[in-house]
Amino acid sequence: MSDRTHITLTVNGEPFEAYVEPRLLAADFLRDEMGLTGTHVGCEHGVCGACTITLDGVSARSCLMLAVQLDGGDVRTVEGLGTTREMHRIQQAFREHHALQCGFCTPGFLMTVGEILDTLPLRDDGEIRDALSGNICRCTGYDHIVKAVRALVNERDGVSDP
Amino acid sequence: MTDTTAYIRPKYVGEPVRRLEDPRLLTGRGRFTADIRLPRMVHLAFIRSDQAYARINDIDTEGVRAMPEVIGIFTAADFTHIPEIEAPSKMMSYQATACPVLAKDAVRYVGEPVVAIVASSRYAAEDAAALIEIDYDPLDVAVSARDALAEGAPKLHEALASNVILERTFATGDAPAEIANAPHKVSGRFNLTRKTSMSTEPRAYLADYDVGKDELTLYGATNIPGIVRDEVGRLLNLNGNQIRVIAPDVGGSFGGKGSLYPEEVIVADLARRLERPVKYVADRLEELTASSQAFGEEIDATLAFDAEGHFLALDAEIIGDIGAYSIYPWTAALEPVQVASFLPGPYKTPSYRGRVRGVCTPKPPTGPYRGVGRPMAVFAMERLVDLAAAELGMSPVEIRRRNLVGARDFPHRIGSGIIWERSGFQECLTAAEDAIDLTALEAERQRSGKWIGVGFASYAELTGIGSRIAVAPGMPMNTGTETASVRIDATGAITASFGLSSHGQSLETTLAQIVGEELGVRPEDVRIVHGDTAAGPHGTGTYASRSAVLGGGAAIKTARTLLTRVKQVAATLFDVDPERVETGDGRIFVRDTNHSIDFRELARVVYADMATLPMEKRETLEARETFDPIVGTTTSSTHVAVVEIDPETLAIKLRRIVVAEDCGKLINPLVVDGQVHGGVAQGVGAALLEELKFDENGQPVTATLADYLVPTPAEMPDMDVLHIETELPDNPGGFRGMGEGGTIGATAAIANAVADAVSHLGIGINSLPITPNKLHALVVATREPNGQE
Amino acid sequence: MMNFRLVQPKRLVDINRIAGLGRIEKTERGIRLGALTRHAEAARSELLAENVPIVAEAMAHVAHVAIRNRGTVAGSLCHADPSAEWPLLVTLLDGEIEILGGDGRRTATPAEFFLAPLVTDMEETELVTGIHLPPHETPCGMAFDEVAQRAGDFAVVAAGALVRVEDGRFAEVRLGLGGVSDTSVRAAALEDALTGRPATAEAIEASLALTVEDLEPNDDVHASAAYRLSLVPVLSRRVLGRALERATA
Ligand SMILES: Cc1cc2nc3c(=O)[nH]c(=O)nc-3n(C[C@H](O)[C@H](O)[C@H](O)COP(=O)(O)OP(=O)(O)OC[C@H]3O[C@@H](n4cnc5c(N)ncnc54)[C@H](O)[C@@H]3O)c2cc1C
Ligand code: FES
Ligand code: FES
Repeated sequence: MSDRTHITLTVNGEPFEAYVEPRLLAADFLRDEMGLTGTHVGCEHGVCGACTITLDGVSARSCLMLAVQLDGGDVRTVEGLGTTREMHRIQQAFREHHALQCGFCTPGFLMTVGEILDTLPLRDDGEIRDALSGNICRCTGYDHIVKAVRALVNERDGVSDP
Repeated sequence: MTDTTAYIRPKYVGEPVRRLEDPRLLTGRGRFTADIRLPRMVHLAFIRSDQAYARINDIDTEGVRAMPEVIGIFTAADFTHIPEIEAPSKMMSYQATACPVLAKDAVRYVGEPVVAIVASSRYAAEDAAALIEIDYDPLDVAVSARDALAEGAPKLHEALASNVILERTFATGDAPAEIANAPHKVSGRFNLTRKTSMSTEPRAYLADYDVGKDELTLYGATNIPGIVRDEVGRLLNLNGNQIRVIAPDVGGSFGGKGSLYPEEVIVADLARRLERPVKYVADRLEELTASSQAFGEEIDATLAFDAEGHFLALDAEIIGDIGAYSIYPWTAALEPVQVASFLPGPYKTPSYRGRVRGVCTPKPPTGPYRGVGRPMAVFAMERLVDLAAAELGMSPVEIRRRNLVGARDFPHRIGSGIIWERSGFQECLTAAEDAIDLTALEAERQRSGKWIGVGFASYAELTGIGSRIAVAPGMPMNTGTETASVRIDATGAITASFGLSSHGQSLETTLAQIVGEELGVRPEDVRIVHGDTAAGPHGTGTYASRSAVLGGGAAIKTARTLLTRVKQVAATLFDVDPERVETGDGRIFVRDTNHSIDFRELARVVYADMATLPMEKRETLEARETFDPIVGTTTSSTHVAVVEIDPETLAIKLRRIVVAEDCGKLINPLVVDGQVHGGVAQGVGAALLEELKFDENGQPVTATLADYLVPTPAEMPDMDVLHIETELPDNPGGFRGMGEGGTIGATAAIANAVADAVSHLGIGINSLPITPNKLHALVVATREPNGQE
Repeated sequence: MMNFRLVQPKRLVDINRIAGLGRIEKTERGIRLGALTRHAEAARSELLAENVPIVAEAMAHVAHVAIRNRGTVAGSLCHADPSAEWPLLVTLLDGEIEILGGDGRRTATPAEFFLAPLVTDMEETELVTGIHLPPHETPCGMAFDEVAQRAGDFAVVAAGALVRVEDGRFAEVRLGLGGVSDTSVRAAALEDALTGRPATAEAIEASLALTVEDLEPNDDVHASAAYRLSLVPVLSRRVLGRALERATA
């Protein structure tokens, strides 16, 4: 349709260039043009959190951004976290605590957890729940997710599991 | 020599085995339908009705004909070769509705597909949609079920006799007469407003047509691939062997992906017509307006009881707001009739009369949603039980104890005809009561003046039902059997295939645990194939808490057959009696000897070593068995909810939920707890947050996830799940189904807890969700008895 | 808005990269927040924490982590949701909105800027470049609270208060309310009535009836007008009470 815009960006550590339609959503760009389908789209209006990525180190909704806004940015998606053979510690904790069922919401949770572990004290489960409240999971009832995050917080803080 | 004692079979069933599906889902390597891209793929978008009920006068597509990205624009006139979707039923008084794949002359709900646009991208298809104009003539409409029921109400389907498309009465004894003479009775009108399953993955379909072979592959976010294959095939006039339905990773369903949708049929048809892969991915607005919805019932019920609190009779009038069409294959009877049949619940109530009517309204069709009928039935009944306790000044626990079917009373037939088999009705109540410190809560309430409430809810459900009972009343389809096929290939690897379709239930793990357990191999060495009509045996899918009982039963039967063959071959090789052959940890051995081989060696001999194993001694290393539990197993549970209400803002905080549940033998405790937690969360949503609202013209006003509110982590309380194991049910694994119970019990327990918290105000909780906003209106009404400001 | 195709702009200007729009700084006239200040930055800012601690308290109620990382002060003001936190904060703090247009710079008070739900007095060619929060006399206490349906949802009703006490009397009282009118409002009648009174909880209690005077909230899908009104005195008491405690701590 309209003219395309040239963008350069880093995705999961790899540099890329692309020509994108200005109206292309960042989520669609990552999924359809980059083939990184781990970033899921559950609502396209910023509520469900399934599309959460990090841009320049902070979490963002890729459904509320345009691909052109990624220009010059350092993007991380769930694919950059760990691999099936070598999972990131957050992924392992989710597996150990059975913190996912259908797995559709999971990438968004993982990206959010990565950030809040770095930035928030998460002193109790209430704080964990609050910090995760921008991500919706319809399968798990969140109990196991909270337990997984609690375990990660304890590891971070050097507290042994009670 | 190997130490054979090391191979004593470890137990996999009952262990918190880590899930085999996790690595791909955790690393973004899962494959959901929307993730699939095929060469030459085109995209489909729909223009949907913005009218509740209107005649279509004209569709003007002039503006888009010239758009180069647009490949085709289709209206009902382009689909005259496809019959209308009709859900048949054997139920008397049932009228099937005719649902065209695209609205033909009239639209009957906001969200009904009217025009299909195929373009090179979804963006282009939506651009085109914006340029197409549809001219409607709005028709008179009765939006609420009660209005649609009234004499002279405008009919939604001209071809039908009335808006009431089904009616059924259950009766045991003479409940109205008993009630008239009873010493005590309580009644109420209860409402469970419309909800939707809201799986996080929107529906998505992708059809790929192989012109050369005249074969169609339909990838879809569905939990009933077998049913979709059969019906799409029938509608498109394709043989079953020309169409293959694959459900790849599916992001939850809870019922919403468990019916046949017009979009599936259209995608399949257009892929054939255009000879290109056609993809459709719903957005959230479409999910909230055009995926199946649920509940939407109103019950007028009366419970009669004697001075000791023993129930005497129950009478109920149930009206189901079933929406515009009767959904395939379940029919619109699924939800409301289930309400009537489960209303008497786990209690001994001698007389029952329940009449149910299903009414067409200009809203999206209703279909299955976790719990089906039972959340409403249990909510109404458990409110009545608490009202009865209050009338007698008896504790909610005591009145339940007096009426729950006791250990010696099984099997027990309730007034609707359902038969409860042995299950821990009383045991669950006791366990739940023990888990809550009622005295401490009462003391806190007295001391602090806080509005604290405790609510109990007991229920029973039939799960894993066999061929004698239809999942949906009157549905002419067998949902009572499931087949497994297990084979050992030439490399010794084990593959088990099912007609089931996991969408979060962890079947790749739990079924592998079962097959591994039976065959004596590690679960991680068993590959489970499901959700693919070409790869598995016939099956209808995963729904109605049937996969553990039916799939697990079939897996056990099949694995045992296969194991007999394995032992036969090994016996020949070892020259021993087959009885002496054992398996474990991937080895096949004879105790206290040096006979020990692994499955790879066994397979090599069977498939490749004719010298060692002559033809007549060979066995087919493959088995296929079907399991039919005939009736069903009874799962029982008691839920307790503790809430605290801010007396000023009326904010309702859930402090705790306890679930005591008898679900038989646990295949994987982590998975079971996860299912309960997820179910409870949906119960929390149903009780406190979720409501699909429509205005007086039938326009939906909750069309985003900022309006249709599902619980986030912050709304969920701490949960305790207690597993009670009474006698195991009589099926191969001793399993009971448990996928839905969380939703069924929590909804009612929370309603009772809120009612308890505001009992000092004399407020009844009769309509869910109960929100601070609604509570405010109730509180105001008690202050102003005349309704005056 | 665009995702719903409610707005279909021909041209979209990304202002995210304009340097200087994201700064929080002290000026001779108070504190200036650049238009692109993110909610999360405002919540973390030490300068704001020292001078207007109510900002961080309010930001905790804005949506969720990822949204707070991207959402901006100006975006929130221009969206002009009557339940949103920033419009309430600038209303409470007597802030000024700095606007750049073809005809140069201008500033607008909240009363001038917010016209109706989702409507501001901005011209198409104008851009918000920042907000000014004027200094207020110290010591004073501030507090923010709201009732929302779920964590992070837009408020049903929100309230913010600023209280200054001299010689045991209210020297200054400000109360801002969101979610109860077409725009954020100040409870002028209550502010006037309380000023000069003894700084006590009783005085606050006695004044609460004044909060709902002249308010005409709307019924909508989230809450009835009556429920919203019922929350006004409750939240007002809470924020005024807390602000009073902080003012005298
Ligand atoms: C799930 C969810 C929950 C939310 N909850 C809350 C909440 O509880 N409270 C709350 O306050 N907010 C909430 N928000 C809104 C959020 O805080 C953002 O502030 C808001 O979406 C604006 O985003 P933005 O800053 O990126 O502005 P944009 O979306 O980019 O812009 C919003 C509007 O303002 C215009 N605009 C932006 N900047 C300027 C400028 N400098 N000059 C002129 N016009 C401009 C834009 O053109 C557009 O019309 C929520 C959002 C979501 C998605
Ligand atoms: S898809 Fe972005 S938040 Fe839901
Ligand atoms: S695991 Fe299914 S939505 Fe979270």
